[in-house]
Amino acid sequence: MSTPSGTQAAAVRASATSLVAGLRAARLPIAILCTLVLFGLIEPRVLSLGNFRNIAIQASYLAIFAMAQTMVILTRGFDLSLGYTVSLVSVAASMAMVAMGGGDAAILWGLGAGILVAALIGLANGLLIAGIGINPLVTTLGMANVVMAFASTVSDGFPVTGLPPGFTAMFAQASVLSIPVPILVAALVFALLFLTLKATRFGRSLYIIGANPRAAVAAGIRTMPVLVVAYMLCSVLIGLGALLLTARTGSGEPNLGGNLTLEAIAAAVVGGVRLSGGEGGVGAAVLGALFITVLSNGMNLVQIDGYLQQICLGVIIIVSLIVSRDVRR
Amino acid sequence: MNSTAASTAGTERTPHRVGLLDRFLMQGGIVITFLVIAVVATALIEPRFLNRLNLINMMRNFSFLLIPSLAQMLVMTAGGFDLSVGAVVAIASVVTATVMLVGSGYFPDAGVLLILLSLAAVVGVGVLVGSVNAWLVASFSLSPFMVTLAMMSVLVGIALYFTQGIPIYGVTDTFVSGVGRGQLLGLPVVLWVALAVLAGCIVLQRFTALGRHIYAVGSDERSARLSGVRTGRTLMAAYVLAGVLAALTGFLMTSRLGAGHATIGTTLALETIAAAVIGGVSLRGGVGRAEHVALAALFLAVVANAMNLVQVDSKYQTLVLGAVLIVALAIERLLLRRRQA
Repeated sequence: MSTPSGTQAAAVRASATSLVAGLRAARLPIAILCTLVLFGLIEPRVLSLGNFRNIAIQASYLAIFAMAQTMVILTRGFDLSLGYTVSLVSVAASMAMVAMGGGDAAILWGLGAGILVAALIGLANGLLIAGIGINPLVTTLGMANVVMAFASTVSDGFPVTGLPPGFTAMFAQASVLSIPVPILVAALVFALLFLTLKATRFGRSLYIIGANPRAAVAAGIRTMPVLVVAYMLCSVLIGLGALLLTARTGSGEPNLGGNLTLEAIAAAVVGGVRLSGGEGGVGAAVLGALFITVLSNGMNLVQIDGYLQQICLGVIIIVSLIVSRDVRR
Repeated sequence: MNSTAASTAGTERTPHRVGLLDRFLMQGGIVITFLVIAVVATALIEPRFLNRLNLINMMRNFSFLLIPSLAQMLVMTAGGFDLSVGAVVAIASVVTATVMLVGSGYFPDAGVLLILLSLAAVVGVGVLVGSVNAWLVASFSLSPFMVTLAMMSVLVGIALYFTQGIPIYGVTDTFVSGVGRGQLLGLPVVLWVALAVLAGCIVLQRFTALGRHIYAVGSDERSARLSGVRTGRTLMAAYVLAGVLAALTGFLMTSRLGAGHATIGTTLALETIAAAVIGGVSLRGGVGRAEHVALAALFLAVVANAMNLVQVDSKYQTLVLGAVLIVALAIERLLLRRRQA
């Protein structure tokens, strides 16, 4: 904000304005710290090193889902099929691994099947939304139900057990340079997406399409293939997260997705990814995921009822929508 | 206003010259065609479909879908979205049963009084939820989709926390026998209620200022405001009416089930959006007629009944529902595109 030179009052006002702007920018790290301290006062275990490690691992799964969701929210899109995609990928990958003998050699088949299923869901979403032009919310809501039906019937609704022991060892328990694999994967996804959004034509196209679809067309961006790729990328990342979660539970779970759709959207929105498109990035999604995880971790440790937590999640989404809304209008 | 509208925000409006086929399709022709095909096919494949008992049962389920679908229609024509309908149904069911359970301690033999008391409580819940939704959407210009999604989480959380997932019994017998299982002139009482709501919606849309204002706000909020429509008040009315209708659904479903359940209504958000969309309600607001939505709800009820009769797993029923929704939207888009070309 520019102020007329000279007067002290103007300078004070200017620094006050920049302080407010700074606080606004740092509101999430501050909120995370406050939440940690608050729960730490009630239950000291919250602030232990072991719990920090727990939070980091838990947050890395949610961060992957939130980053996936961000890729389509940037284009004014949405993926409400996220949760059930997680379920279906988990079941499909597990069934593939069991069918291929359940040995460690079957792991690759599981990974391939899981990613393939996810990519197909993303392709279907993308073609319906960008190719035919159906509203993304309703498309993915309909798709969610189609995917749910498959997830809960292909294994007769039962968990798929008998996964290769190496799968859990490799993707849930192992560490590289003493960093647990889930955190490493999340960091890698973050780095790749960050570079994609900042430095590639595809990444910039996502922002332009989200900010102004007609301007994007006028600027010569081929909207349709860009959007299809965005939805496939979103789904494949969801598939990746689903595989990591499956390794953690050690079985293919038809109910694995549960609340994840809402949590991933909450993480992205709380982080500051704008639902009207074109604003925000994967950094925001990661911070949002960290905040949601810190909050639910704290609530778990002080033993707040699970249903109350669900209420809190809804209230937090509404509050952060109000806080981060477009005040320039 | 639809802040999350599809990336292909259109300028299309009704074209100057409309062909006979297009006019048929626009005026509910698709729905009528679907409905006739569904009824004939079901009757041929499974003659039990035409049994009086089965038809009565289907009419009840149709009523339980019609009322919240009309709620969804009101909000969608006003340019909004209501994902919280199912959650309101759940919480209304819990409230109905709780009021009756507690009230029967004070007035053990006054069934009608208890019914009226719980109806009043339920209407209160609907008004409250609807006005909070409208307040958030209108005062902060938030995306109605997100607001009602978050609201859904809150309401389901409250209903489950309060009951811990256990059904509340102790609903008055008069309520179950008189409303839930009751018949009037050979038709279920709940069907009469649903038809009355339908008639009310048709009158609202055709003959009242509020009805016209809802269309105006839904098709273009800014022009509506500039031409003197109180947009905030109109949105409030639409969401409150929707809340009340959803709550009424929960009330009626409780009379059928004989207990208050926090877990009912989970698929209603999808089902009501499907009924509205198949009935020609535009996702961009401003377009939609109650009678077409009713036909669409009847179509969905027939399909669900048919799948029950031939014993299709309920999991596949959601698959069909999701697929029907997507196909209906694809047809709408393709017709629109062809008409523009």
